[in-house]
Amino acid sequence: MIKRFNKTSKIASISHFLILAAISLLICFPLIWALSTSLKPKSELSSMPPTIIPKNITLENYQHLITGKAQYFSADLAYKANSTPPQYFIGWFLNSFIVSFFSTLISLAISTLAAYSITRFKYRGRKIVPYASLLGYMVPSIILVFPLFMVMVELGLTDSLWSLVLGYVSITLPFCMWLLWAFFRGIPIELEEAAMIDGASRIRVFITIILPMAFPGIIAAGIFSIIVSWNDFLFARVFMNSIENLPLTVGVMLFFEGVHVDWGLMMASAVLMTLPMAILFMLLQRHLVAGFGAGAVKG
Amino acid sequence: MLYPVAEAVRMSFYYINPLMPDGNRFAGLENFGFIFQDRLFWTSFYNAIYWTFFSVLLQTIFGVGLGLILHRTLRGISFFRGLLLFPYIVPTVVIALCWQWMLNPEIGIVNHSLKEIGVISENVYWLSTPGMAMWSTIMLNVWKYTPFVTICVLARLQSIPLELFDAAKIDGAGAIRRFFDITLPQLAEVLAVVIVFRTIWTFNKFEEIYLLTRGGPGTSTFNLAIYSFEQSIANLKMGVGAATGVVMMFILFIGSLIYLNLFKFEED
Amino acid sequence: MEKKNNQNKSFYSRREFVKDLTVLSTGAALGVSPLTSLAQTKSNKTGIVRVWGEPGPYGAVAADAMNEWAASNAPGLQFKIETLGWDSVYVKLMTDMAAKRPANCISVESPIAMQLMAQGLLEPVDDVVKKIGKSRLVDGAMWDYWGAWKGKQYVVPGHHQPHLLVVRMDVINELGLGDPDKWDWNDLLKAAKTISEKKKDMAGISLALGRNLCTDYHFAALMHSAGGRMFDQANQYEVIFDSPATVEALTFIKELQPFMPKAAVSSGFLEVTDSIVTGKAAMAFYWGRPYGRAFEENKEVFKNIESFNHARNPKTGNRSNWNDFQGWCIPKLNNPYVQEVKDALTYYQNSKKWQIRYAHSLVPNVGPVYKDVYTDPEFPKNPIFEAKKKTSMTYYADSLKYSSSTANELLKGINPFAGIVHGRSILAETVQKVVIDNWKPEDAVKWGHKQLEAVRKEHIALIM
Repeated sequence: MIKRFNKTSKIASISHFLILAAISLLICFPLIWALSTSLKPKSELSSMPPTIIPKNITLENYQHLITGKAQYFSADLAYKANSTPPQYFIGWFLNSFIVSFFSTLISLAISTLAAYSITRFKYRGRKIVPYASLLGYMVPSIILVFPLFMVMVELGLTDSLWSLVLGYVSITLPFCMWLLWAFFRGIPIELEEAAMIDGASRIRVFITIILPMAFPGIIAAGIFSIIVSWNDFLFARVFMNSIENLPLTVGVMLFFEGVHVDWGLMMASAVLMTLPMAILFMLLQRHLVAGFGAGAVKG
Repeated sequence: MLYPVAEAVRMSFYYINPLMPDGNRFAGLENFGFIFQDRLFWTSFYNAIYWTFFSVLLQTIFGVGLGLILHRTLRGISFFRGLLLFPYIVPTVVIALCWQWMLNPEIGIVNHSLKEIGVISENVYWLSTPGMAMWSTIMLNVWKYTPFVTICVLARLQSIPLELFDAAKIDGAGAIRRFFDITLPQLAEVLAVVIVFRTIWTFNKFEEIYLLTRGGPGTSTFNLAIYSFEQSIANLKMGVGAATGVVMMFILFIGSLIYLNLFKFEED
Repeated sequence: MEKKNNQNKSFYSRREFVKDLTVLSTGAALGVSPLTSLAQTKSNKTGIVRVWGEPGPYGAVAADAMNEWAASNAPGLQFKIETLGWDSVYVKLMTDMAAKRPANCISVESPIAMQLMAQGLLEPVDDVVKKIGKSRLVDGAMWDYWGAWKGKQYVVPGHHQPHLLVVRMDVINELGLGDPDKWDWNDLLKAAKTISEKKKDMAGISLALGRNLCTDYHFAALMHSAGGRMFDQANQYEVIFDSPATVEALTFIKELQPFMPKAAVSSGFLEVTDSIVTGKAAMAFYWGRPYGRAFEENKEVFKNIESFNHARNPKTGNRSNWNDFQGWCIPKLNNPYVQEVKDALTYYQNSKKWQIRYAHSLVPNVGPVYKDVYTDPEFPKNPIFEAKKKTSMTYYADSLKYSSSTANELLKGINPFAGIVHGRSILAETVQKVVIDNWKPEDAVKWGHKQLEAVRKEHIALIM
């Protein structure tokens, strides 16, 4: 990165900084507003004028999500309904986590090995695979969802988290393959050959030399895969049936279709849903940007 | 990966009702005939084009603009660049919920702020008025994916040799001239790729619209993906849904041909 | 059950399913099933019985009732309620059916239940009816209303719920608009107009105009009052939608539109309830839910709302309401717990304690269906019922003589196509063509007529 410092445009740089801050604020505003709403008590939600910092900060929305508050009112006060969507929140969170974890793991494993073999071994059709993968990446999930659904029905996997894992692997694999192929291509073969001449087995070479060098690519592909799995709505909507097996994305939409909408609760769930992605992102963003840069722009 | 696509194509030639599998039968081109005659299909098609066109246009303009601004600044650049990808990682569900809340006509922040500034005097019904609903979904799409364009533009900008700019400055070229003569041509290749890429993606987006408006009000924000979904599940005509999918894939195919040609061009 | 257990269950649900299948087939092989139907013998099955219901507390009450049965008769089973949001009832149900994983016991909008019934996807429940007692139903109701097809009963009554004209009496009295019970359509229109003009931030009336079930139900009531119907069940279910009556009903909605809240074109169940409870509208077509919400959220509104049978159609004098004769049905597909569900349902229907609790969980939304519930001394002991006795009894009893349903138009006979019609939002789309796209009502009705004919043609097998 080339840095340039021009003494005469200090003002310009400050103003640029301000613009930057403004833009960042604009970009993150929906989430900031969601956070603010989630900390407001119910009475303050519809008060005018709306304030960014709540007059009374309360954690009750988060509490309700975590402990499972009954969402419905009941005039028969002696009897409390005990089964409402918010009570499944923790379960949904776990489901999302499990699905994302496994689909990423499997996707990475397959794509790493596949990319490696394509760049190192010679066999027919190896040249097309990367481009075919890229093409595969561009097929939108709406086209795939129903045929895949029929497959899942045949296999009896509907309503199980495995159906989601398989589904996500099939849509993240193409891009991961392509990304890793680009990375592996850039690793010189001489390194391996030198090590193998020294007597190391191919597997040893793979683990000790190749993997560390491809690490940025693997991270980028991993992040991509996690994001796709965690954020997906369509597949989960079509494949899953029971309320406790839903991942977060579909589950949260259930809050919305009840008797009345509790915006504080919904915003709290929105914040909690984004938090893992945000944290992951903060930790690994350098790699993601690098991966994007490499993948999208370079050949 | 290949199997579902092939299966989708096969399904488009059948009449499939998932609830009564005994009734499945070969339908030939019947499904295609159905969709081409369906007014809603063409509405969805037109909507998709309208939506894609404006989304991509705005994404490009904002994306390039943002890229230019970010290219200049100095400190904290990597932090901001990371922050830019934030909309991309946020689940679409979350952002649809947030926007529904903000666009709430009575107690949402958007109407309130606009009224405070004086831009509007009465509450705007962002999601209940057909025209506004379309634009609301466009804004959501722009919000989510402009950063993506910015990143790509930025990466390219940073590889433009500074000597070119210095030479132009010495020659007396103003900032605008510099942009058009140097920056834009350099960006052209990347932009072309990005635009085609974004167009293909945006054309077939399902979640962004469905989660915000369900295709409403009425059917004013229907696009092909939503049409396919409704036909398959609400109408229980998976064959028709698959036929729509085939049409979408066809358009995609053409788009990717263009993309690949550009791609090869860049390699050379 | 521990939430953690459920997580493991979801992960291994395929194995669970195979296990259950084995149990079922072994049981069947041993010829156990025919024996258990004679007496409520204990069941050794284990697992979760999925029960579906509408959003609201009453489904959970039913599940609890069934769990009470399970505690002594099938200790390994747990009945678990899941609520289906209205927006996605049809889509979710169809997806689950297609995935061959429907719930084990479903309570859903009756037209949809009837579609399943006609498609042969439900278990007949005549044995349950016998154990409940054929003559127990309230006057004016027949078992068929809930779901009988080709001589067999498929749905066990859960409740009935009509939508009526909900009115802010303080506004009506303030503006001297008369007695809503005596209104006809012209009076209703005049009232809506007057309210909108005189009251600045209040809409005259609130109806659903969005692309959803609520719109279907509101429009259907008006259509039936005018004398129109979708299908003629006496004549091979021929489509008779295109009629002056239907056009009249559609025109009426168009005339009311200026006096509705601005966002009416995308409103559904939630928004209409909201508009009454928050005071944004002075009148609405709705079921009993606003009373519960107002009781909790807005006592001012609660004090002043009353419900009446709908305004009469000036020509026919009809005041039809759309009544959801909602009941419990049992899917046949992949259902290892059919007998247990039947026994649990029988227990719950025969238990006055639970019937009353069910009704009390949301007064006056869910109308009890058995006569003896009304005469039970515990029945009136509910704060909302006591505050709104006349309105509640209008919902529960008085409305029955004007009841109609899309699945049983003007109570002339079950129509199996209604569920599909609702799934495709044909009625709502007809309304929207007029209120959003500004079509002429005649053209919109012609369009709707064509759509209905397509439905009939595609699913003609249902009526053979």
